Amino acid sequence: MEQTTYLGFIPLLPLAGALVLGVMHVATCQGNRIAEKLYGILGCIGPVLSFILALKLFFSLKGLPAPDRFLTHEPFTWFSVGDLTVPMGFLADPLSSLMLLFVTFVGSLIHVYSIGYMAGDKNFGKFFAYLNLFLGSMLILVLGNSPLVMFVGWEGVGLCSYLLISFYSEERENVVAGNKAFIVNRIGDLGFVLGMAFLFWGIGADGFDYLSLKANAHNLTPALGITVCLLLFVGATGKSAQIPLYVWLPDAMAGPTPVSALIHAATMVTAGVYMVARFSFLYIEVPVAGTVVAWIGILTALLAAVFGMFQNDIKKILAYSTVSQLGYMFAGVGVAAYSAGIFHVFTHAFFKALLFLGAGSVILALHHQQNIWKMGGLKKKLPITYGTVLVGSLALAGCPPFAGFFSKDEILFSALATGHTGIWFIGVIVAGMTAYYTFRMFFVVFHGTPRDRHSYDHAQESPRVMTIPLIVLAIGAGFAGFLNFPAIFGGHQQVSHWLAPSLAEHHPDAGLGVEFLAIGGSVLAFVIGISIAYRKFFGGAEEPVYRGFCKFAANKFYVDELYATIIVRPYRFIGKAIRQMIEPYITDAPAQGVPWLYRMTGWVFKVVQVGYVRVYAIYMVIGLSIMSLLISQSLNL
Amino acid sequence: MIEHYLFLSVILFCLGILGVISRRNVFIVFMAIELMLNAANLGFVALARLHVSMDGHVLAMLVMAVAAAEAALALAVVILLHKHKGKLDTNIFSLLRG
Amino acid sequence: MIVTYMFFGFALLSILGALGLILFKHPMNGAMSFVVTLISLAGMYALLSAKLIFAIQLIVYAGAIMSLILFIIMFLNIQAKDLPDEPGRWFYLGGGIVVISPIAYLLLKMVKSLPAGDTGIIEQDFGGVKEVGQLLFRDWLLPFEIVSILLLVALVGAVVLAGKRGANT
Repeated sequence: MEQTTYLGFIPLLPLAGALVLGVMHVATCQGNRIAEKLYGILGCIGPVLSFILALKLFFSLKGLPAPDRFLTHEPFTWFSVGDLTVPMGFLADPLSSLMLLFVTFVGSLIHVYSIGYMAGDKNFGKFFAYLNLFLGSMLILVLGNSPLVMFVGWEGVGLCSYLLISFYSEERENVVAGNKAFIVNRIGDLGFVLGMAFLFWGIGADGFDYLSLKANAHNLTPALGITVCLLLFVGATGKSAQIPLYVWLPDAMAGPTPVSALIHAATMVTAGVYMVARFSFLYIEVPVAGTVVAWIGILTALLAAVFGMFQNDIKKILAYSTVSQLGYMFAGVGVAAYSAGIFHVFTHAFFKALLFLGAGSVILALHHQQNIWKMGGLKKKLPITYGTVLVGSLALAGCPPFAGFFSKDEILFSALATGHTGIWFIGVIVAGMTAYYTFRMFFVVFHGTPRDRHSYDHAQESPRVMTIPLIVLAIGAGFAGFLNFPAIFGGHQQVSHWLAPSLAEHHPDAGLGVEFLAIGGSVLAFVIGISIAYRKFFGGAEEPVYRGFCKFAANKFYVDELYATIIVRPYRFIGKAIRQMIEPYITDAPAQGVPWLYRMTGWVFKVVQVGYVRVYAIYMVIGLSIMSLLISQSLNL
Repeated sequence: MIEHYLFLSVILFCLGILGVISRRNVFIVFMAIELMLNAANLGFVALARLHVSMDGHVLAMLVMAVAAAEAALALAVVILLHKHKGKLDTNIFSLLRG
Repeated sequence: MIVTYMFFGFALLSILGALGLILFKHPMNGAMSFVVTLISLAGMYALLSAKLIFAIQLIVYAGAIMSLILFIIMFLNIQAKDLPDEPGRWFYLGGGIVVISPIAYLLLKMVKSLPAGDTGIIEQDFGGVKEVGQLLFRDWLLPFEIVSILLLVALVGAVVLAGKRGANT
């Protein structure tokens, strides 16, 4: 098979950047600092070059005939056990090339933006090193040609999320949030590893890369198939923050805002959706697993939307919107509309990165104020941010010509067309709620009167290094949807056709009526949501006091507390019990036994070493005597 | 016949060992060591006679020279010991006690 | 025949002397009985045709070394109260015999396996001053010189050990 060497450089460039930046930072963090500009430029080189390579890759794939659209590169053998040889292999097909494009594009913009956002931070270099590492891991995840290589990136993004969420490690809360993200992700990773193991057990014997697995997918027994699919989905719920493992994502807001943007838009959380799409050849064989995925996805969307309506922290609102949108994506891939799910990942990357970076711009302008009830009227002060966030909000809320509308609509249409009416219905309700909470945030922050006069007066627009990425992303959020313009309006659905060779997908045939029903429902929900938000918040509202159900929702249904009670506490108790009852006797005893043994040996030697010359002579004679006995025996004397 | 000499040598040697390990008097221990040396000498000379080769005689002479040197040093040490501690007991040396 | 009788006589005397050495309480008595052993051994050497060794045994061992030991014992003027009381003597002796028996057994067995040889007196060209001297100064020259250095070192050492204490006191 043809080797495409530059494939390997796509993840390698950011990783090399991480290494260089890390070494530079470690070498200089004590004494004279290197200029931030140098760090910034070095940090951006890797992602930008990767983006250029991804473009090259995209066009070279485009030049191939549709069924042969894949390029591979296997730089070296990773390990080899028995008959199994696992190469460190990269596979570029339409799916991964699309992922690559927006991951590197959005990632590069976030890097550029970070130069402005992180200016003056004493760990500037470290931040860029982590950021590059994060991006490199994500690229390995996307490009890996087998589940094992994907797992390397999978763990890499987990590690980097931990490092970056607890980036401001002086404060205990941030470290706790990082730990939470890491531990919750580990639970998901366990599912992923088990799923991989079962998959290998089932059909791994003839090669464990995607192409071989795809060829052998029909050999999987139904029971094993459903096990594998559900276990892999457990992994996805961890990475992509679905019920029941979504709890880490809101806490992940402890990190710097560009990190939130990177986690939520380009990397990490999309990994789960990508993985399900990647294994579409398995999920298509097991519709039951797909239904489970879809229902969990849509319920997550509903739950997160309910939470999002009652949050006060601008980043938390966006975090719950991410969880909610991820729920849509899973609903999409769950009903076997893989291209719709991936398309939503694609558009979501633009508008969510835009919203986070815009929120970062607001937060920076107000000197790290995140409570929306301390903002207000910022439209005049931050015109560029205002305009771009408006585009992002419209896209998120699903306003017709913007990116989010098309992708969300396609998911809902697919759900309706495949007969999942319940999912469609909940999806429409969630769309309304999304519009409501998005514009609640938007109106409170940018319209009305300033609630905190002091910080309002000092607010000023962010530097150009931050606003230009915002504008670029706003263009993307505005127009990315047209890439998959539905056929019903005379579009060509380029994205779906582009992805078709990678995905095992059947496009449902549905009549015009279904299509119009889906679109009409979405638009109606959007209009209702935004008008409620307009009525309540446009003129400037004060911070409400939540009661009853609202208070319950504002406290996130006490899910964190519930987990703490039913999982964390018993674990602590078990740990304590083990520490007190079992460890001293079972694990400590051998450890204590070793010094005891030495003490006893020492005591024996002490007794033997009496110090009298005569006794040493006796020992010598005893030794001679034993030797004599042995010699007599061996000589048969 | 020659083995009788060697039997005697073995017997004297064992008596020397017994003297070393059973007595605490410095002089007796010292002379027991001399006894062992003499037992070895007897063995050398007897075997020299057996093989009609005088190397054993030379070895015996060298052993005697070593014994003389040992006697000179050991007696000096005994004198020091007696002056220092007023005793002739080997057990007063126990600096090697663990 | 006379040689055999003489051998057994000397053997008996030497064993008795050695037993006396390890059993007498006072070192003076032990030394005197050890002299008996040494002289008997000199007789053995004579029976084995080792004329030079016979002479050296008498002159150096029984003469010089034992005189030195006796002299020191008398010089220190050892009284019965100076002697260490040796309560475990018989215990150690019994234990020693038990421990030694395998060694003795092995040695005796090995001696027994030797070929029988002529032990008659060789009158000419064996064991005399001339023959041993030629051997000593020709084949054994290096060991001889080393031993001479050893004796010199022992001499110096004895002077230092014995003299230093005297200077301090």
